[in-house]
Amino acid sequence: MIDTVPPEIRPEVLIIEDDPQIRRFLRTSLAAEHYRFREAKTAADGIKEAASRQPDVVLLDLGLPDTDGIEVIRQVRKRKQNFPIIVLSVRSAERDKIAALDAGADDFVNKPFAVGELLARLRVALRRSTGAPGDASAKNFQVGDIEVDFVKRKVTVSGNDIHLTRIEYKLLQVLIRYADRVVTHGQLLNEVWGPHHNDQTHYLRVYMVQLRRKLEADPARPRYLQTEPGVGYRLITE
Amino acid sequence: MVNYRARLDYFVSVAVVIVCTAVSIPFRNKLEVTDFAMLYLLGVIGVSLKCRRSAAILNALLSVTAFHYFILPIHDSFVLEDYSYLIPLVAMSAVALVISTLTYKTREQAVAVAEERMRNALLNAVSHDIKTPLASIYGAATTLLEEQKRLAEPERTELIQSIAEQAERLNRIVTNLLEMTRLESGFEVNKDWQPLEEIVGAALNRLKNALGDRPVVVRIPGDLPLICVDDVLLEEVFANILENAVKYTPQGAPIEITAERTGADITVWIRDHGPGLAPGDEERVFEKFYRGKTNGEAGVGLGLAICRAVINGHGGAISARNSEAGGAVIRIELPIGGAPPQLGVFSEGAVQ
Repeated sequence: MIDTVPPEIRPEVLIIEDDPQIRRFLRTSLAAEHYRFREAKTAADGIKEAASRQPDVVLLDLGLPDTDGIEVIRQVRKRKQNFPIIVLSVRSAERDKIAALDAGADDFVNKPFAVGELLARLRVALRRSTGAPGDASAKNFQVGDIEVDFVKRKVTVSGNDIHLTRIEYKLLQVLIRYADRVVTHGQLLNEVWGPHHNDQTHYLRVYMVQLRRKLEADPARPRYLQTEPGVGYRLITE
Repeated sequence: MVNYRARLDYFVSVAVVIVCTAVSIPFRNKLEVTDFAMLYLLGVIGVSLKCRRSAAILNALLSVTAFHYFILPIHDSFVLEDYSYLIPLVAMSAVALVISTLTYKTREQAVAVAEERMRNALLNAVSHDIKTPLASIYGAATTLLEEQKRLAEPERTELIQSIAEQAERLNRIVTNLLEMTRLESGFEVNKDWQPLEEIVGAALNRLKNALGDRPVVVRIPGDLPLICVDDVLLEEVFANILENAVKYTPQGAPIEITAERTGADITVWIRDHGPGLAPGDEERVFEKFYRGKTNGEAGVGLGLAICRAVINGHGGAISARNSEAGGAVIRIELPIGGAPPQLGVFSEGAVQ
């Protein structure tokens, strides 16, 4: 799709990663997908590049030689630079992921990852900066059999009306807004219940179970409302 | 924990001397002095066999002292008139020291042997299980490099596929080795109230590709209470069990996951429809580096060991057996962990 776009306005990816082999395969696959890219080997370089280049999306490794990758996120966000940041992290480091997401990262990919997974996350992140499906101004949303009419506040599954409670509806709304991106427990609690409820994650979980029972064909094997253990949830639309 | 063990050892050591003395005193004038010496010696041997060396030595010294003080005819005095009594005394303390030291050494050696066996298993895992996928990756990659021009498209694709698959296998092995190491070095359990359905769902989602279109039936009652567990670790447990079911049963064989409340616990059964466990394997499958026979690739043999470490860390129990209908059943019992929270301020009224 991107190859129909003139080269100079193709999206630019900033890779902040110290390992040369990982940079090498990222370079190859990004080039094959017609992205433009820049590389930085350290956090300091990355912050500098991000400020001067204003990339469309950043791929950030958390284990950089000079400073923690989270520091890059903080610095970048402090300067009101709003481009999406995707963190490359290792599994079982849930706390680091949450810290990165709380600091302003948009998503993460577990290392080692298949390139297809990374490219999918990249597309989602770029969509966020251009506005598509999760757009707040959209009048409706549709994925599989599920349809949401934001104007009438109506939810249907295969054409059948589904009654959602107010919390369930709000929860769904937030997940749709962040479609295909991870939303942390903290973010969801904050957006649905307001601040000061950050330690009440179990309520959120109970409502997610209810929402799945109403929207999913097999709630124990959800297709759309997926769990990222220890981190949060992700509404899958792709 | 360690402190508790030490205190218990010293307590036993002192208690044994008190018991020996209390039993001996009424018979002081009726039995020979050597008979009492034998009784104390028995106590010393017992303590030496069961408790740490310092406690055994303490027991020996206390025994000698008590023997002196309470049993020898010259009561309430350490002055000895007849030196023939000295022989059993010296003998007793010597035997006590020798036995406790020997017992200690034997125990130490047993630990060393166990550690050695573990090290060998680990070394074997690292050398064989890591090098095998590495060998195929290296082989396939060098073939691609050297035979680039001579290889037809399907052969090239096959080699590339093998690289991707073997790298994934290597990843699983390394992940499990790291996970086991982490669990053994004392791990933090981040417990919170979780719906079991969600954890099972996350594990099923993680294994989506491996499961393919294999039928998975999940029976979790809608009114099952929340359970206080670490969701990340528990997902790991279910993912490992499901991965085994995929690895050890024929393609397409169904898997059933059933959960039920059993008093203060929640019990989960994961049933597969494969060949089942080999006789005598019910306990062994939970041992580190133990592997059953697979048709395809075996892992490193840590999956179920990790599961047991996690479940035990939650105060639960995990066991394996064959079901009458055929196939293996893994049974997990987890304490609910108290009274699940009620939906209070968070009920619908709280939303604007």
